[in-house]
Amino acid sequence: MNNTWAKRNTGLLFITPWLIGFLIFKAYPFASSLYFSFTDYNLFKGISTYGFMNYINVFTDSKTLKAMGVTFRFAFMEVPLKLVISLLIAYILNFKIKGVNIFRTAYYVPSILGGSVAIAVLWKALFNNEGLVTRMLNTIGIQNTPKFLTDAGWALFILVLLRVWQFGSTMVIFLAALKGVPTELYESASLDGAGKWRQFFSITVPLITPVIFYNLITQLVQAFQEFNGPFIITNGGPRRATTLMSILIYNNAFKQWDMGLASAQAWVLFIILMIFTAIAFWSQNKWVYYSDEEAR
Amino acid sequence: MNKKLLSITLAAAMTLSMGTMAFADEAEASYENCTLTFDWWGGDTRHQATQDAIAAFEEKYPGIEVQANYGAWDGWESAEALKFNSQKTADVTQINASWINAYDANGETFLDLNTVADTLDFSQWDEDILKMCEDPVGGLASVPVSLTGRVLYFDKTSFDEVGVEIPKTIQDLLDCGDAFGAYDDGYYPLVLGAYDRALFMTQYLSAKYSKPVYENGELMFTEEELQEGVEFIQSLVDHHVIPALDVLDGDGASSTDQNPKWTNGQYAGIYEWDSSFAKYAGALAEGREFVVGDELEEMKAGTFYKVTLSFAISAQSEHPHEAALLINYLLNDPEGIKIMAAERGIPASAIAYETLSEAGLFDEATMEAHTKIFDVATYFLDTAFFDDATLKDVAEGAFQDAFSGIDYGDYEISEAVEILFEALTAVTE
Repeated sequence: MNNTWAKRNTGLLFITPWLIGFLIFKAYPFASSLYFSFTDYNLFKGISTYGFMNYINVFTDSKTLKAMGVTFRFAFMEVPLKLVISLLIAYILNFKIKGVNIFRTAYYVPSILGGSVAIAVLWKALFNNEGLVTRMLNTIGIQNTPKFLTDAGWALFILVLLRVWQFGSTMVIFLAALKGVPTELYESASLDGAGKWRQFFSITVPLITPVIFYNLITQLVQAFQEFNGPFIITNGGPRRATTLMSILIYNNAFKQWDMGLASAQAWVLFIILMIFTAIAFWSQNKWVYYSDEEAR
Repeated sequence: MNKKLLSITLAAAMTLSMGTMAFADEAEASYENCTLTFDWWGGDTRHQATQDAIAAFEEKYPGIEVQANYGAWDGWESAEALKFNSQKTADVTQINASWINAYDANGETFLDLNTVADTLDFSQWDEDILKMCEDPVGGLASVPVSLTGRVLYFDKTSFDEVGVEIPKTIQDLLDCGDAFGAYDDGYYPLVLGAYDRALFMTQYLSAKYSKPVYENGELMFTEEELQEGVEFIQSLVDHHVIPALDVLDGDGASSTDQNPKWTNGQYAGIYEWDSSFAKYAGALAEGREFVVGDELEEMKAGTFYKVTLSFAISAQSEHPHEAALLINYLLNDPEGIKIMAAERGIPASAIAYETLSEAGLFDEATMEAHTKIFDVATYFLDTAFFDDATLKDVAEGAFQDAFSGIDYGDYEISEAVEILFEALTAVTE
């Protein structure tokens, strides 16, 4: 009997370290943040009130509403731009070009650097008022250069640009998908007189829609969680123009110690993200093509 | 706090010095072997001095081991705050005065040092100064290491290049701004961040209306007076005395001493603590002359002071007597005092001040700045309120919001004043 029990539970034993980590570092904070979101929990003053006040605050406070708007703008600029650019580059790098491996490596390098602090600091140095970009523009005769980090519109775009520049991971995934598109389809299309663009939109894109869908979901999640860029490059400025929800949550939790409000904001962000993900999953019936229908 | 008060304190210290030695001998008589933890933040020279002092302490008190935990300021407060919250406070912690209200409101984070009065020699501090370290429930949360205030420092090389004298009055300062602007649009005689502006405005208003910003837990300035203060700051921007905050933001520097415009003299003055001379002088390009300015004539009467840093003992410490021995050694024992030197500013302990003065261990410029402040300092800056995160924080604070709101064109002066007044009042409620 003992032998049977051991056989049945060997797997459980193997995943126990992960399970303990998951329960302590994921499940417990997840559940406790939901509880705290209904309290006025301050790390140093404790809890004195329970209720929906934090959620009311989230939907009425101008700072939170602005941060929500900024987060949407960031995500809706960053995700499509990154997907389009990485797909186009992957498509080009899928051709038999001389030295293509060097290009693939070069385009992937920024993704290896990831969202590192060093890159954010470098970005800040590049785009400040007297940074390299401004100096280069001045050198080629453009004198009236934008204030990249102190103009509200530009500052957010600069942060988007940093993330779009790191398109290597999505590009590699697209590249793998493109390799899987049967070449005979392109040959048949060529015989029928279809040009490269027609082939791209009528063969390539439909056949890699599952991968586009995957990249869309992962990039959307990442975009809504963006932190390093706005924290290091602009610190949420100028005038809150780059204060994403993640920054606001951090400030409320670890500067004001208002864990109740921060928890509520995190939950609202989570629910919004879930809604967008659900919409994406619902919409895949209309635009994602699976050769094996069971994969859906 | 003025010269007279300082003299009385020093005289008292000298009289007490014999008694102090007897006090120390008595306190040293018994202690338990133990391990103490000691947390502080600072720069490399402070770290080295403190580690040397710890080594000397361990030699003097064999059996007591001190585990040091130190680092730079960035992120330090959050890390310490989380320790306080999780009952992991070090036996001895270096704290800011504003931390007492923020993290020890109920007196349960830091030990009431009155309970170790037999070990820690309180006679070295003026009673009024010790009061600044009391927690809201009346316990003595910490003992002050040093006192400080704000003074003007100038890159004299820039002033010479522009051809103007170092300012001594507000009108001089405004004229300097005009001259710097005419010399080069990118040159300013002074640079002030949002918090610096708030302090400069406070000194201006305190001088004009003969009252501190906070007294007995209440905001002393009216909304009309604050309006006058904000208009004064705005006049500095208009006269090219200080760069607008959008210009500063655009520089992309995390602090003024790391700003190339400071290094090369484009920003030629700063309003800083008396212990800041070396930091800003060291950041200047080689060959530039850096001097301590005077408090502006019209603003002298508003000069304020505050406790720079203080040492606290954890309320959960299992060895409060030994922790108090360590603090007493660092602040009141001539051996420890000399090793620690002025790494945490000009000491508040009378015997430390006397010891370092006699040994000639004060940096000349720091001493000059300190003297210029404490010759005229009148008001205690209640940082329990003024340094509250809702006011001071660079991202979410009201100082940043109000002053940058004007500079970015989002607020009229009256709107900024309303924000400031509400925020300054809210922290007292």
